[in-house]
Amino acid sequence: MSIEDIFQSILQLKRGEIADLVQAEIDAKTDVGVILEQGLINAMGEVGDQFTEGKLFVPEMLRAAETMKIGLEVLRPLLIEADINPRGTVIVGTVKGDLHDIGKNLVGMMLEGAGFTVVDLGVDVEPKAFLDAAGENQAELVAMSALLTTTMPVMAQCIEQFKEANMGARILVGGAPVNQDFAIKISADGYSSDAPGAVELAKNLVPA
Amino acid sequence: MLAAREGASSELRLSGGLAPQLQLTVGTKGELIMRAQCQILSEDEKQRVHAESLKILEQVGVKFLSQRALKIMKDNGAKVDDDTGIAKIPVEMVEQALKTAPKSFVLGGRDPARDVELPRPTAGYVLDLGGVFTRDFKTGERRYATLQDNNDAMRVFDEMELSSVVWPHSTVEGDTPNSDSIRLILNSFMNSSLHVQDEFGEPEEVPYIYEAMAAILGSEDAVKERKLYSVTYCTLAPLVHEGGMCDAYLDMIEFEAPILIYPMPCTGSTGPCSLFSNIAMGNAEALSSLVLFQMAHPGTPLIFGDASGSTDFASGGFLEGSPEMVLMTAARGEMAKFYGLPNTQQGCTTDAKEPGPQAVLEKLLTTMPLVLSGADLVQGPGCLETSGLLCLEQIVVDEEIGGICRRMREGIDLSDEKNLYDDIADVGPSGHFLMQDSTLDACRSDEFYAPKLFDRHTFERWAELGRSDIYSKARERVEEILATPQKNPLSDDVIGKLDEIMRRADEELK
Repeated sequence: MSIEDIFQSILQLKRGEIADLVQAEIDAKTDVGVILEQGLINAMGEVGDQFTEGKLFVPEMLRAAETMKIGLEVLRPLLIEADINPRGTVIVGTVKGDLHDIGKNLVGMMLEGAGFTVVDLGVDVEPKAFLDAAGENQAELVAMSALLTTTMPVMAQCIEQFKEANMGARILVGGAPVNQDFAIKISADGYSSDAPGAVELAKNLVPA
Repeated sequence: MLAAREGASSELRLSGGLAPQLQLTVGTKGELIMRAQCQILSEDEKQRVHAESLKILEQVGVKFLSQRALKIMKDNGAKVDDDTGIAKIPVEMVEQALKTAPKSFVLGGRDPARDVELPRPTAGYVLDLGGVFTRDFKTGERRYATLQDNNDAMRVFDEMELSSVVWPHSTVEGDTPNSDSIRLILNSFMNSSLHVQDEFGEPEEVPYIYEAMAAILGSEDAVKERKLYSVTYCTLAPLVHEGGMCDAYLDMIEFEAPILIYPMPCTGSTGPCSLFSNIAMGNAEALSSLVLFQMAHPGTPLIFGDASGSTDFASGGFLEGSPEMVLMTAARGEMAKFYGLPNTQQGCTTDAKEPGPQAVLEKLLTTMPLVLSGADLVQGPGCLETSGLLCLEQIVVDEEIGGICRRMREGIDLSDEKNLYDDIADVGPSGHFLMQDSTLDACRSDEFYAPKLFDRHTFERWAELGRSDIYSKARERVEEILATPQKNPLSDDVIGKLDEIMRRADEELK
């Protein structure tokens, strides 16, 4: 048993094995921070790289993230005890009027894989709900998605409200009709055309 | 295997499966016609898709976010769970809806000469401007679309022979977001003589659009009758009906505007990861929409369409240029015929980012099976990048693809008139047929497709002429169309009225 086995179980999508592997490392008194960083987060970093290179497919990446999450659940009580906070908190959601959620879910799963705590508000989310969730969770980031031209303006309204409320969370936007110019125009802190890019942005905005 | 076909006394199908087949058809006048056709699903397979769809509707059910829709479903016999909003739809409701849905109707063109009768003997085309980006005609830059792009595309598409219906462009510009779609629709009427079809936003837009149609037609009574405008209704895969859009369509149904039912399940992401089950689920979504609108207003004209996609597993993206996409939309077109309903199928689509070989290959791939299997309307011309990017010259290239596919659909005419045995006897061994009367008569006939863009010169002549390719010729055609005055414009009086309606909409819908 080793950290490497945990790392490999994620890359090999073995969700049935990871809980026992993590528990074994805990029992062996391995530092929980080391299990988290070297076992879980590093594995998801590798998964993210392979996904970006087109070597891993989305269903495989999602299964890897799910496997990582099972391992993280085993570790979580000890992380809280040791006051180890993974990367930071991100609020994700599809804006009001829009019910499309696949891209948003993908971003959420990958952010979790990168060590962020993700609060998913779902679809059709009012600007105020983003604002409240960011406040309650002391979120570092808010990631908003829109697939419709009619709902893109809601992103601008939301950013406006964050500014008015003087909320410090940085805001990422994405979705098929959105582009870099639009993101700049509405004063978003970042835009990505795909999920791995969103994770890179998040990592840059909230360094470990 | 013998099968009945409308307009034919008998038909002999020579082989099964997916491969293009030769059909020997005995026409109504007793003439023999050979047709090249393609069949995706056998009769038995259509029955299986139908049975799976009914099972999904009855046992899994469909979720309605509109309370009005849910009440209609409940009042007509669906088992509704008020907590989840899921309606389980029994087979009797589907059968009842299939009885009242019209089997044929006409989509009125703004110019009556461009009316579209459904069903059609060969495919017509729907200009696809559902995306928000345009490839700038002068610079090639990819940028957000403007109202002018919408109008230019309408002008170009209007000159294409196979054009049937236009979708207005989606734009994100504008200081008047609440009236932008009205502006786009009315501008489409001004710049196109075709039927206009659009996805509908809010119930507040309805009166302006109907007032505009009354102004164009000269009377309010003609609006219902002529049907210049129809709407696209997309279910939200898997198995959900949106709330606001559903309510707006239930409002509008009183005007008897046709509705294109257009599920878009994407196999592997928003749909199950097999073509068979994705087809069955898309078909179930379409049947649930058919039930809703027929129960709400029996006799509502519905187009039983499909815009399924396949998943790019490397990114999770929606693919429209894949062989799997067109297998599904063609199969769903066959399901529409199975129910005897007019259909629009997504095709002539591509995931290419620029004009070029990938665009042409994918568009040909995604058009041919639809045309050969008898789709009424193919929705896709004009766009690249998974329906996201308008490209004016692509409209002209897509017309060529449509022309080739129509020729393939027409197949080989084996009538007595085309039996030139006497010519063969007359010329005999050696010699040639260039001087025969039949050759002179046929050389400009529909028997031989005359491409507008393909080069067939010798190398030397092609080089002398500037080494053109299909896109350079297409660009010339676009330039020519945009440089000449619009044919068949609306009168100044009607344009004045439409301008006034748009101004009022800007003011009132602020």
